[in-house]
Amino acid sequence: MTLVSEAVTPEPGSSEAGTSQPVAFTPTRRRPVHGVTERGPDLLPLQAGEQYRFSFAMDACVGCHSCEVACAEQNDTPVDQAWRRVGELEGGEFPDTRRFSLSMACNHCVDPTCLSGCPSNAYEKLGNGIVAHHPDDCIGCQYCIWNCPYEVPVFNPIKKIVSKCDMCRPRIEEGQSPACVLACPTHAIGVEKVDVAAWRADHESADAPGLPPADITLSTTRISLPPDVPADTRPANEHRVRPEDPHWPLVVLTLLTQLSLGTVATTVVLEMTGATTAVSQGHGDGGLAGPAVGAFLAGFVALAASLLHLGRPSRALKALRNLRTSWLSREVALFSAFSVLSFGYAASLAASSWNGGALTSVLGVVAVLVGVAGVYASARLYLVPARPVWNSRRTPAAFFATAVSTGPLVALLCLDRTRVRPSAVAMLIVVAALGTIAQLGVQARLLAVVRSRQDHQHQGTAQLLDGELHGSFRGRIAVSVVGLCLLASAATVPLGGAAAGGRLATALVVIVLGELAGRYLFYVSVVPYRMADGFFGSR
Amino acid sequence: MPPRSKGNGVAAFLGLGTRADDAEYESDERGGVMNASRRPDEWVRTTCGYCAVGCGMLVGVRDNKAVSVMGDPDHPVNRGRLCPKGLSEHHTLGADGRLTAPAIRSADGNQERATWGEAVDSVVGGFRGILREHGPDSVAVLSTGQLVTEEFYALGKLARLGFGLRHYDGNTTLCMSSAVSGYKASFGSDGPPGAYEDLETADCIMLVGANIADNHPLLAPRVMANDEATLIVVDPRVTKTATVADIHLAVRPRTDITLLNGMLKLLIDEDLVDHDYVAAHTEGFAELAAHVASYDLDRVAAECGVDGGAIRRATLAFGRAERAFIGWTMGVNHSVQGTQTVTLLNTLCLVTGNIGRAGAAPFSITGQCNAMGTREAGGTASLPGYRAWDSPADRAELGELWGIDPERLPAGRGRAYPDIIDGVLDGTIKGLWIIATNPPVSFPNRGRLERALANLDLLVVQDGFETPTTALADVVLPAAIWGEKDGTYTNAERRVSRVRRAVDPPGEALADFDIFLAMADALGVRDEIYPGWKEPEDAFAEWSRVSAGRLCDYSGITWERIDAAGGVQWPCPTGTEELGGSPRLYTDGVFPTPSGRARLLCVTAEPFSDAPNERFPFMLNTGRTVEHWHTRTKTGRVEILERLAPEGWVEINPADATRLGVHPGARVRMRSRRGLVEGVAVRVTATVREGEVFMPFHYDELCVNRLTIDEFDPVSREPNYKQSAVHIEAM
Repeated sequence: MTLVSEAVTPEPGSSEAGTSQPVAFTPTRRRPVHGVTERGPDLLPLQAGEQYRFSFAMDACVGCHSCEVACAEQNDTPVDQAWRRVGELEGGEFPDTRRFSLSMACNHCVDPTCLSGCPSNAYEKLGNGIVAHHPDDCIGCQYCIWNCPYEVPVFNPIKKIVSKCDMCRPRIEEGQSPACVLACPTHAIGVEKVDVAAWRADHESADAPGLPPADITLSTTRISLPPDVPADTRPANEHRVRPEDPHWPLVVLTLLTQLSLGTVATTVVLEMTGATTAVSQGHGDGGLAGPAVGAFLAGFVALAASLLHLGRPSRALKALRNLRTSWLSREVALFSAFSVLSFGYAASLAASSWNGGALTSVLGVVAVLVGVAGVYASARLYLVPARPVWNSRRTPAAFFATAVSTGPLVALLCLDRTRVRPSAVAMLIVVAALGTIAQLGVQARLLAVVRSRQDHQHQGTAQLLDGELHGSFRGRIAVSVVGLCLLASAATVPLGGAAAGGRLATALVVIVLGELAGRYLFYVSVVPYRMADGFFGSR
Repeated sequence: MPPRSKGNGVAAFLGLGTRADDAEYESDERGGVMNASRRPDEWVRTTCGYCAVGCGMLVGVRDNKAVSVMGDPDHPVNRGRLCPKGLSEHHTLGADGRLTAPAIRSADGNQERATWGEAVDSVVGGFRGILREHGPDSVAVLSTGQLVTEEFYALGKLARLGFGLRHYDGNTTLCMSSAVSGYKASFGSDGPPGAYEDLETADCIMLVGANIADNHPLLAPRVMANDEATLIVVDPRVTKTATVADIHLAVRPRTDITLLNGMLKLLIDEDLVDHDYVAAHTEGFAELAAHVASYDLDRVAAECGVDGGAIRRATLAFGRAERAFIGWTMGVNHSVQGTQTVTLLNTLCLVTGNIGRAGAAPFSITGQCNAMGTREAGGTASLPGYRAWDSPADRAELGELWGIDPERLPAGRGRAYPDIIDGVLDGTIKGLWIIATNPPVSFPNRGRLERALANLDLLVVQDGFETPTTALADVVLPAAIWGEKDGTYTNAERRVSRVRRAVDPPGEALADFDIFLAMADALGVRDEIYPGWKEPEDAFAEWSRVSAGRLCDYSGITWERIDAAGGVQWPCPTGTEELGGSPRLYTDGVFPTPSGRARLLCVTAEPFSDAPNERFPFMLNTGRTVEHWHTRTKTGRVEILERLAPEGWVEINPADATRLGVHPGARVRMRSRRGLVEGVAVRVTATVREGEVFMPFHYDELCVNRLTIDEFDPVSREPNYKQSAVHIEAM
């Protein structure tokens, strides 16, 4: 479709010069846009090692938003799910103020983290470089949104899957320019080809103010910046720090899997150290099966809850497709295995009188190892560069602290404590207390780090924790401290007695509430990297 | 946009049974691969209905629904591209909030559905009754720049000859009348002398109070494509346009007059005056030279708050340019000294000989899609064809063309828009017909305007959408909008383009043309004023005949010619060979003044009447933004535009924000001597000077015109929207 003629400025060394007519409005003021072709990239066939990419001339963009509208029209995207967005940036002081617009859609990265993180292999890096999303394979887990440092994929709450820019693949395949390229009145947006190896070696022009470092994913969009961009240039939406979605199913998933692991681990320790005394055989009180069953049930509820997080629970099995690169796939696999193992462990304990035999112990140890790996995978999937506050050792530390602070208490409450050596009970209470203290340490560290770091993401979290979420955060700390006090008070009465049981149960409830609040805050207080946006934001 | 239907039950919960996952795309011969939901059965060639750039576009129609638009690749104005408003314009057709049936306010105060017959009778009967009782000054019409030329021409005849009204004006007085008055003062006639193509060939472009990047986006590529030109932007704000300038002169508000006087002095001092042109084609140079003698650079720099070196560089670039072009819009026009400022811009071009040739013009970049049409054909500020109300010869000529007694034509223009409002407020005007404009949001000092509108015996409002104005109406007339009717628009460069009906109007809505015909029928004057007219093209044929011999000569233009050329620029007298008409005026240096010479007029800046003080310490500037059009009656109904700019905001300099204790996104209360606006979102930005704030005017909800001063240019009667003193406090 020939709509507007544009000059083809061939890439150095390419031989496609002069394939298109001269120009109506030639590209831009003193800053020619290279490689913008009239009929689309078919005029620039790819050589080995090349891919297509967007180019964006920030010095040519006047911020008209035509590209956004054209994109929405071409792809019928709902207004709150824009594939292309125009960010506003400003720096300098009046009257030498500089303002810039940054139009961005998918950067069709060389190392796309949407793709590597996707558990169901819904993403594909096509031969021409386009990072394509296959809706039929999408389970709606939205992990790609967390993984993308530009927050390119958008979740459609009606289709219950994500979608994203595919560089107008249906047009490109017909030799037509993408809608945004065609719509840009100043020819600031183009499509061109890039030598991937050369780009990997030098991709400085993928960076722009307000964007995350391009090497996280090796973004391919080439951005030509105007000269002398002021150092203080900031996106206009930077003040819009809003709590993120709490992802309640994930709050439940992470919390209960950690609690479950802690409980199984405690049970295994009690069993293997012989800290408990068996009474008459065949009494069928289950003995250590109690905590194991409790652990299994917690883990099972966690897995069930995780299904609620998926846009398409019916496709949940597809989550296992990408064990090779996705920590989410690994988490699902490991927690599923943990669930089976903890069931086996519980069943084995229930079948025996009190302590199981050697096979039971082996089952328990394996369950714990798999559970530890699961919680590690679970924590690992939050360690994404796109979300710097999550991307820290604090995340696994917090997750394991939850296991340690809750598991021993659950175990103690699920068995007859009179048959446990008092010293072991006391030890478990101390361990649980240490878990909570560790958790408080992690939280204190978090606050100190986000307050001291100067980047927008850490500052944003600090702003939330000291501002809008101040009460929740303070409350979360207070609740854990109360939990600690309750634990201490439980230790002052006979540990086998009902009074201790009551106090331990209360302590457990309080500590779990603290962890619940903490996990909620974990999800809502993170400030992701994302592409620059307008003053009012786009979602 | 797709319907937001919720799935139901277990299937939806599981993520089954929701909509098909894959978006569907289909190939279209014109549009290429398009979203299937946007692929039309046919494309209707038309012209955009928002601003006066006048972009050609194709509206995609399927089953009588407008499903898409695309820029017309063959149109000389935009060559296939559109701004975001244009790209989403099909969403205005079929949007919610349309008026679909006439309504008449009943005794109990409710607007109740009526037939067209009843509505027309109540308007005609009502106005006639008032006129009979109170005389020809007691009814007025306020129209717009949004109708097609054929309708403006019809409305002018209906108002003057049908109803016999003296007072008829349009919202064009709120935007372009200073340009009109300024052109008349300098050249003897209205009419922008240049063309867009001059932006591509000029070697110096000076944009004064014109933020084309936001407000005329499709002119920006022309400027940006011109590599050779020095781009000077004169604007108190660092606008999007200012950011691409080579020299930005961020003058203090209304010191543009001082700046231009200073530039004139410097041009004279540096001997950059085109003495031959001045001698041959102008008058008043000696007086001008004497007048500007005191504007030395240091004084000008100090008063304007701009670096003198930058002023000097800009002036020399302008003076040394082979082809210099000045474009201006509301920053100049929206002032009590708008007319005078326009004459200074004309003078700057005249003394350097930058008029009447390629790349050189003092060019008013008009606001509305067809403000030019009403200026030329409407009969508001002048009689059709730029004929003067006070010229007996012009009246006689028109009387002859129309076959009427010239005595039936008023001997003066009548009240301009603000004076009509004054008349309504003091009870002189008792009947008012408002067509396609929304004064409560767009007129300054809203409180006073609302008091006025409450004072009417009969308020008739004719519009496409429900608006704050239609809510006040005694009679509501539902009109077809852009995309639902035929005619022509004339753009800022005098290019006449076709507007076509792509879909049917909703319900009983009628094209304004048909409403005027029905009124004429009811008045019993249809055969006299609209002889043999059935279609808008009939009106065009008469108008082009009536324009013959005038500066705005349409006589060689037909609808067929417009189609063939993709737009024709007047003057295009019968016999004009160039298919596209004439790109520019005054190529011979002869001006329609009595002497044939253009006038060089002396101008001095006057102090503000509403200068900031301790109580109202901020200078409030108002303007537009790319996402919205006027009072959002259309763009507010386009989801994507609303998302981009969902509410009004105020731009405040960081130093002022600190002083006020407000952070970005905070809400403030703004107060002026005239009114109060509460809950405005703060945008902290160094694009405004300390002590100055900016607010867009589009929003009914956060209406900046509750604050603006109702003070008007004495000649053009254009409001002074750009400077009002306000107080701001955090909420």
